[in-house]
Amino acid sequence: MTETWLLRNMRAVRGRAYPRIIGSTREPSWVFFDVVLPLLTVSAYAYIYKFMKAPEEFVGFVILGGAMTAFWLNILWSMASQLYWEKEIGNLSLYLMAPISRMSILAGMAVGGLFETTLRATSTLVIGIVVFGIALSLSSPVMLIVVFVVTMISLYGMGMMFASLYLLFGREAYHMSNLMTEPIYLASGFYFPVRTLGFWAAAGSSIIPITLGLDALRQLFYPASVAEYGFLPIGTETLILAVLCVVFIMLSKLSLDYMEKLGKTSGRLTLRWQ
Amino acid sequence: MAVNSELRTFKNAAWLGWQMEANWTDPFLFAIYSVVKPLAGTLILVFMYLVITHGETETMFFSYMYVGNAMYMFVADVLFGVTWVIHDDREHYMTLKQVYIAPIKFETYIFGRAAIKIAITSFGVLLTLLFGVFVLGVDIDLAAVNWPLLVVALILGLATLAIMGLALGGVTFLTAKHAMGINEGVAGIFYVLSGVIFPITILPGWAQSISKFLPVTYWMEGVRRGLEPGVITALGSTTGLQGFSDLQLLLVLVVTAVAFLFISLGIFRYADKVARRKGKIDWTSAY
Amino acid sequence: MEPAVETESLTRVFNPKKKKEGKSVTALDSVDLRIERGELFGLLGPNGAGKTTLLKILSTLLLPTSGKAYVAGFDVAKDFQEVRKRINMVSGGEISGYGLLTVRENLWMFTQFYGMKSAVAFKQIDSMLELFGMADKKNEKVRTLSTGMRQKMNVIRGFVTDPDILFLDEPTLGLDVNASRVIRDYIVEWVEKRPDKTVLLTTHYMAEADQLCDRIAIIDDGKILACDEPDTLKKLVRTSTMLKIDVTLLNNKSVLGNIPGVEKFTYTDDPASNLTSLKFVLQDESAVSDIVSEIVHSGAKILALRKTEPTLEDVFIKMVGKGFE
Repeated sequence: MTETWLLRNMRAVRGRAYPRIIGSTREPSWVFFDVVLPLLTVSAYAYIYKFMKAPEEFVGFVILGGAMTAFWLNILWSMASQLYWEKEIGNLSLYLMAPISRMSILAGMAVGGLFETTLRATSTLVIGIVVFGIALSLSSPVMLIVVFVVTMISLYGMGMMFASLYLLFGREAYHMSNLMTEPIYLASGFYFPVRTLGFWAAAGSSIIPITLGLDALRQLFYPASVAEYGFLPIGTETLILAVLCVVFIMLSKLSLDYMEKLGKTSGRLTLRWQ
Repeated sequence: MAVNSELRTFKNAAWLGWQMEANWTDPFLFAIYSVVKPLAGTLILVFMYLVITHGETETMFFSYMYVGNAMYMFVADVLFGVTWVIHDDREHYMTLKQVYIAPIKFETYIFGRAAIKIAITSFGVLLTLLFGVFVLGVDIDLAAVNWPLLVVALILGLATLAIMGLALGGVTFLTAKHAMGINEGVAGIFYVLSGVIFPITILPGWAQSISKFLPVTYWMEGVRRGLEPGVITALGSTTGLQGFSDLQLLLVLVVTAVAFLFISLGIFRYADKVARRKGKIDWTSAY
Repeated sequence: MEPAVETESLTRVFNPKKKKEGKSVTALDSVDLRIERGELFGLLGPNGAGKTTLLKILSTLLLPTSGKAYVAGFDVAKDFQEVRKRINMVSGGEISGYGLLTVRENLWMFTQFYGMKSAVAFKQIDSMLELFGMADKKNEKVRTLSTGMRQKMNVIRGFVTDPDILFLDEPTLGLDVNASRVIRDYIVEWVEKRPDKTVLLTTHYMAEADQLCDRIAIIDDGKILACDEPDTLKKLVRTSTMLKIDVTLLNNKSVLGNIPGVEKFTYTDDPASNLTSLKFVLQDESAVSDIVSEIVHSGAKILALRKTEPTLEDVFIKMVGKGFE
């Protein structure tokens, strides 16, 4: 890997991020949808916990989970599935023909969408806290940043792996993304402590980085609830997430190469309307 | 002649909708998909409930919540389905303009696509209810079901949803790819304010006032009274609509359906005109 | 130096996912092709002949079922990263890019995938937009462009990265005369000014292939039927040339039939309009000057002269057995 290779791929990341960033300024209607609307689902779950007279931290759990859905949806719909639409539009063949890593294209999509995603997550968190009067106590800001960063890297690595499916499949992969939206909310404990699923189920779900990331974030914001609702110690969860970072980045490279080769062999790499 | 033409458009649109929904995989996988997806969505709420009640599901409130959540699938899928048709046809398959300029009523085409969405969702709803009854102990006694009320409420509600979907479809003409935000938003409003998973009485007063203007609120109540009359009786004034008789409830649904028909048609036609003026019928906004 | 493109028994078979979707299709069948550096090479064939399949293999989007393909000396299957550094492709009717970006932004974005410095990229883009008469459109959103403008933008996208080998898959498809001419003129100029650059062009338009290409391959049902210079290909059909001359009424016509190189001679007199129409079938084109001299010598005036030669369409029909659908 030469300096030229690095520069070329960094420029590719920049190039692909650009339409996302510009799009968000030229079509600003997303601000309303991404800021206000996610609160509605979060509010519904928060109210149901209130109706059931759940412990106060559960409303906080819901708000944190609601904020993290922004990243999960970004992975599924703005990165992985996006390749499906790029194929339909005809951009995919141009990307694949270019002398760059596929990961650069996906990284560009992720980086470009980061602003919208972060705004959505932050607004859900802040407005949720204000509306429901949640009290969060952050035990360690440094740990928060570490957990967040490793969660995001491993999550986006996993997203790149999903994206590779689209090199071979068409609507099947799209429907798989559809299928994974809510089951992952369930399996990863977006709206309830994942520990409730039982140890082995929660352990299985931990392969999805957001499971442990969310659990660790909840423990950081609600240190008093660790004993009753935390799944694993924060240190352990952070370590696992760091390992997942490496694993998913490597797997995504292998998966992208393999799927591309399969797609080229079968002739489905650029086949539209599959 | 005109009626035949409308029926033909409706039928062809429904056929197309079925192809779009189902022909991406073999029937077995499609069946699995159709089972897993609705159940997974429902189980989120089930687990949330289990965490707090420590495993107890055979309560009136659980049945109330479960049935509401199952029925809500119609709301989300129909509203999503209609907005998605326009978005998908325009941005991805780029066939919207060909359908649009054909000598058909575009509204009928939309209704046809919505109809198949309703049909597919019905399967998911039924499955979810069966799962609830046989696995989780949801209180639905077939002998106690008020079938006339249930059927009429269901039909009126679904018609209203399809009609509202038309208005959203019109708005989709004018917006960029965030069309999904529109359906998420409107569906979300109903989720919070229409007594889907909790009674509207838990909401602040101002929110309850809004709830009473939403047709889905009455629809939920009507379907519950039909399907699980015992649960509604047991919950009494908690639901917030105890002052309405069954007939009054149905009347409200009819009035709202008719009102929304005019409103939605108005919105759709206005949006259509603006979209044509601004050249948005065949634009692409993907990035 | 290795050729720009070389294929050895290149074969590509498409198998359906399910039996009910139909039989296997052999899109390319043992194709042997060699395109030298600096050539403007044409590939002619009807729909479904295998042109796009060949281009997809050469541009590393598709793997061959068997055989080999090399671009700039690199194996497209194994060394695809090296191939990609040296190529670009433009297809007719392309709708790639993002509608809400401007023309300039869209073009810049694609240059970034080739690692071009922004300053260099913008300079190239602006220069090409000027050349293609699109300077006033550079800040317009792509979705507002007409079909012709969009295709011009696509063509610019292909050239702006300065590839060694450029694949053009029906680049003037659906364009009006002016737009097509601008693109064709640029293609010719680009190759002429850069002897190390190569263009592989697929087209349906015989005149385009005839005008632009140094050599042409005719492909049908996945097989190369002929590959040579346009003039040589035309000779496969007919070695004779037809000549038609309208003159003022000519008296002594028989001598014209005896001119060396004239295979056949007929005429029609129209005394009412004082015209004689002469028709020649020539074995040797050098007879034209002798014929003209004889006519002038006899005192008649030449009013019109038309030479009819075999066209590529004639070649195509002879080779393929059908016209273009």
